[in-house]
Amino acid sequence: MILLALTLAVPAVAGTALILGDRAPVAARPLTAQLVALVASVVTLVLTVWDVVQQPVVDQPWVPTLGLRWHFAVDGISAPLVLLTAGLGVAVVAHARRHLPTGGTPGTFYGCLLLVELGALGTFLTRDAVLFFIAFETVLIPMWILINRFGDPRDAAARSDAAGRFLLYTVLGSTLMLIGILALVNAAGTADLDRLAASGGAGLSPTTQAIVAAILLVGLGIKVPLWPVHTWLPPAHTIAPTGGSVLLAAVLLKMGTYGIVRLVAAPLPHGLGVLAPYLGGAAVIGIIWGGLACLVERDLKWLVAYSSVAHMGFVVLGIASGTDTGLQAALFANIAHGVVSALLFFVVGGLKERWGSADLGVARAALREVSPRMGLSLVIGFAAALGLPGLVTFWGEWLAMYAAWSPAADRPVGLFHAYAVVAVIGTALAAGYALRVLRVVWAGDRLEPAVPDVSGVERWVVGVLTLTVAALGVWPRAVLDSTAPVVAEIVHRAGVSTPADLGSLPPISGLPAREVPRSAGDSRDPRGGAAS
Amino acid sequence: MTGLVSVDPMVLLPVLAPVIGAFALLLLDVLLPRLRWVHSAIALLALAVGTAATVPGLAQQPGDSRSTLCLPGGGGQCLYQAGAVAAGLQLAALVTAFVTVLLAWPEHRRTERGHEAVVVSLLLAATGGATAIAAAHDLGSWLVALELATLPTVALVALRRGRRAVDGAMALLTTSLTSFAVLAMAAGCWYAASGSPFLDASAALAAAQDPARRAVLVLAVVLVVGGIGFKLSLAPFHAWTPEAYVGAPVSIATFLAATSKVAALAALLVFLHAVTALGAPALTAIAIVAGLSMTVGNVMALRQDDVIRLLAWSTVAQAGWVVLPLAAVSSLAVRAAGGYLLAYLVATVLAFAVVAALGHVGGLGHLRELRAYRGLLRRHPLMGAALGLALLSLAGLPPGVLGLVAKVVALRPVVAGQLWVLAVVAAVNAVIGVAVYLRWLRVVLQRPDPDPAVVGAPLAAWRDWHPAHLVAVVLAFVTLVVTSLAPQLVFGLVS
Repeated sequence: MILLALTLAVPAVAGTALILGDRAPVAARPLTAQLVALVASVVTLVLTVWDVVQQPVVDQPWVPTLGLRWHFAVDGISAPLVLLTAGLGVAVVAHARRHLPTGGTPGTFYGCLLLVELGALGTFLTRDAVLFFIAFETVLIPMWILINRFGDPRDAAARSDAAGRFLLYTVLGSTLMLIGILALVNAAGTADLDRLAASGGAGLSPTTQAIVAAILLVGLGIKVPLWPVHTWLPPAHTIAPTGGSVLLAAVLLKMGTYGIVRLVAAPLPHGLGVLAPYLGGAAVIGIIWGGLACLVERDLKWLVAYSSVAHMGFVVLGIASGTDTGLQAALFANIAHGVVSALLFFVVGGLKERWGSADLGVARAALREVSPRMGLSLVIGFAAALGLPGLVTFWGEWLAMYAAWSPAADRPVGLFHAYAVVAVIGTALAAGYALRVLRVVWAGDRLEPAVPDVSGVERWVVGVLTLTVAALGVWPRAVLDSTAPVVAEIVHRAGVSTPADLGSLPPISGLPAREVPRSAGDSRDPRGGAAS
Repeated sequence: MTGLVSVDPMVLLPVLAPVIGAFALLLLDVLLPRLRWVHSAIALLALAVGTAATVPGLAQQPGDSRSTLCLPGGGGQCLYQAGAVAAGLQLAALVTAFVTVLLAWPEHRRTERGHEAVVVSLLLAATGGATAIAAAHDLGSWLVALELATLPTVALVALRRGRRAVDGAMALLTTSLTSFAVLAMAAGCWYAASGSPFLDASAALAAAQDPARRAVLVLAVVLVVGGIGFKLSLAPFHAWTPEAYVGAPVSIATFLAATSKVAALAALLVFLHAVTALGAPALTAIAIVAGLSMTVGNVMALRQDDVIRLLAWSTVAQAGWVVLPLAAVSSLAVRAAGGYLLAYLVATVLAFAVVAALGHVGGLGHLRELRAYRGLLRRHPLMGAALGLALLSLAGLPPGVLGLVAKVVALRPVVAGQLWVLAVVAAVNAVIGVAVYLRWLRVVLQRPDPDPAVVGAPLAAWRDWHPAHLVAVVLAFVTLVVTSLAPQLVFGLVS
C-alpha cells in the first residue's frame, strides 16, 4: 500500500519542490535540478516496476461527502502503460541533459516534466472514475507551461497559440468526460471502475447509455485525438520541447484511449455498440487524413505529429470493432505507438535542435553518411511507423484491421469490411510518407552541412527505445499476455449483459436507441446490476 | 415565560456578535472619537466570536437544526432555524467579512476621522444580515435580514466619494430597491398561496395540491429567482456588478463578491428549501439564468483589461455555476450550491486580497491594469503564487483542486437530473472560464518587464506590505492550499 502511495508521492513532491525551489532568490543550478529530477524519476520507475510485480491496492476515503476515494491499483491493462510512462519519465529527464530548453528556469522545466508524469501515472493507476478525471486534469497546467514557456524559442505567438489550443481543447474534452463519468457513477451508485465495468450500464436505459457513451466518446476523442477534433495536436506536438513532445505523444494520448476502454467499452457496451459505426468511421477518416497530411507535410516534426493521428485511428478502430481481438489490438497498438512516437520525437527533436529547423525542403547532409546511429534509429522508427512486420506497430495495426474485418455480432459487417479496406489503404499511405522521409533525410550522399551523431545520454535513450521497438515486435506477447485476461473479462461481460436480440437490430439506422428499452428491461435495475 | 418568544442567545450568537460589535463601535466612536485602529480590532474580535459560535451548528447531523425565537403555543414554529448548511454559510459570511475588515484596515489611513468607525460598523451590520438570513424561517425575518445585508453595502460603496463611487452606489441602490420590490411581491405571493408566514416545506406542499394556488406559488419562485438574481448578479440582472466593484475600494468589492453573495445564496436556499416539493417546472427559470450568467460573465470577462472588472464579470459567471445545481430538484442540489459557493469564496477572496495588497504597495491606479501583473511570480513569489493558485482554482484546474472538485460537485446534480443540454452548456463555459483566468495567469507567469517604470516597484521588501494585508493573503492562501489537498474540509461544511 505504501508502495503505491510512494509511486505518486515521489514525482509529486520532487516536481513541486523543484518548481517552488526556483522561486527562491537563488535558483537551483541546472545540474542540481536535473539530478533531483533524475533521482525522482528513477525511483518512480523502480517503484512502478515493484507495483506491477506486487499489485498492491490503496483505498482510502478522500472526500467522503462526494464518495471520492484515493483508490489506486494496477491491473493487466494499466501495467504496460504505467511502465511506459515511468520509463519515458526517466528518458525525458535524462535526455534534457543534452539540450535544456530555454524560456524558463531549469527547475520549472524538470518540475513540469515530473508533474506531467504524476498526472499520467495517477490516471493509469486510479480505480475511481472521478479521481480518474482529476488525475486527467493534473497534466494540463504543467504541459501548458512546457509548451508555452519552453517550446520552440523562435515564435512566442505560435507557442502561446499552440499551448492555449492544447489546453482549451483538452479542458472541453475532459469536462464532457466528467459529465459522462457522473452519469455513469450516478446510475451505478459507485465510482469504482471495476464495479462500473461489472454493472455494464445497468440503471441506464439504452437511450441514455447511447447519450452517455456519445458524450464520453466526444470528450475522450478530443484527447486521443480522433478526427475531426484532432486540430490541437499538430501545433502542440511541433512547438513543444522534445521532452514535452515525447510525453504528449507517447503518454498523454494514451490517456484518451485508456479512458475509452475503461469508461466506454467496459461499462457501456450497448452504448458503444450503437455508436461503433460512427466511431469506426471517424477512426478510418483519421487514418487517411493523417496519412495524406504526412505525404505533403514539409516540417518533419509536424509530420510525425500528424502520423500520430493516423496511428491512433487504428487504436480506435480496434475498440470500435467490439471483439476481444480488437480490444487487444487497440491496447497493443497503444503501447506500440507510445514507444515508436517516443523514439521518433527524440530523434526528430534532436535533429530539429541540430538543424535549427525541421524543414524537409532544405537540403542537408544525408544521415546515413554523417550520423549513422541516429540514421539507424530514424529508419527503424519510420519502418515501425509504416507497420513493417517484425517491428512493434505491425501487431497492433494488423490485428486492428483483422478485428475490423470480423467485428462483433452486433456491428454492421459490411461497413466494417469497408473500414478494414480503408485502413489497409492507410498503411499504404504510411509506407509512402515513411519512405519519403527516409529518402529526403536519410538516403543520399550529401555530406554538408554535417550534424553530430547521437552521443552520451541521448545515445542511450534512443538506443533503448530502438531496441524496445524491435523487441516488442519480435515478442508481442509480453504485452498481449498482460492485457488478455482483463480484455476477455470486458468482452465476455459485454456479451452477457447485451440483450440477446441486440444483434438483430438495424445497425446504423436512427432507430436502435428507441427500440431497445423494452427488450433491455432487465438491465434497468441498478441494484441487480451492481450486485452481480 | 409562556406567552413570549423564547430567546437563546447562544444559538443566536452568529448573528448577535457582529450586530453587537457594530453598536459597540459606534458607541466607542461617540465617546472617544480620536481612536483609530481599535475599531478594526473590535470588529475582528466580534467576527471571530461569531465564527466560533457557528461551530456547534456545523457539527449537527443532517436534518437537525438549532432553533430559537420560537413562538409560544403548540405549533412550535421558530423564526430562527439553522441547519448544517445554514451554519456553513454563516461561517463563510463571518470569515469572508473578517478578511474584508483586514483588507480595509490600511485604507482608513488616508481618510478623515470617524470614517473607520462608520465603514467597519456598516460591514458588521451587513454581515449580521447575512448570517441572519441563512437561518431565517419566516417571511418577515427573511426580508428584513436580506435588506440588512444589502443596504449597508450601498453606503459602503458611496463612502469612497468621487464620481465612480457615486455611479456604483447609484447602480447598487437602484438594483437593491428593485430587487426588494420583486422579493416583497414574491413574499406576498407565497403568503397568498400558502397562507403561512413560515417558509416551510409542509405549507408549500399543501398549497401545491390546489392548481390555482400552485400557480401563485410558481410565480413566487420565479420572482424570488429574479429578485435574488439581482443580488447574486445573475444575468440578466447583473448590470450593476462591474460599476459597483470598480467604484468601491477593493476591500468593499471583496465584500460584495464574497459576503454579499453568501447572503444572497442563503436567501435563495432558504426559499428553495421550502419549495423543492414543487418539482421541475419552477426551476427551469434557474436553468436559464444559470446558463445565461455563465456565458455572459465569461464572454465579458474575456474582454476586460481592468482586473477589478475582470473579477466582477468572473463573479457573474461563477454565480451561474453556484445556482447551476439548483436547476435539478434534490437535497443534493442545495448542498452542491452551498459547496460550490464556499469553494468560489476561498479562491475569489484570495484573488481580491492579492489585488488589494499590491494596490496598497504599488498604487491601485495602475495595478488595475492586467499588464501591471507581468512577471508577478518572479517579482513577488508569495503574491504571484497566491494569485496563480486562486486563478487556477477559479478556472477549476489542478493544482487548484478545490475549484476542480467544486465543478464536480456542481455538475453532479445536473447530470443526475439528466439535464444534458445544461450540462453541455456548463462544459463549454468551463472552457471559456479557463481562457479567462489563463489570460491573467499567463501575464503573472511571464518574465518581468525590464523597464521598471512599467511595473512599479521592482521587488517590494517585506516591510512594504501592510501587515493586515499580509495576514489576509496568507490566511486565504493557506486555506486554499489546505482545502485543495483536503476538499472535504470545505464540502463537509455543507453536507
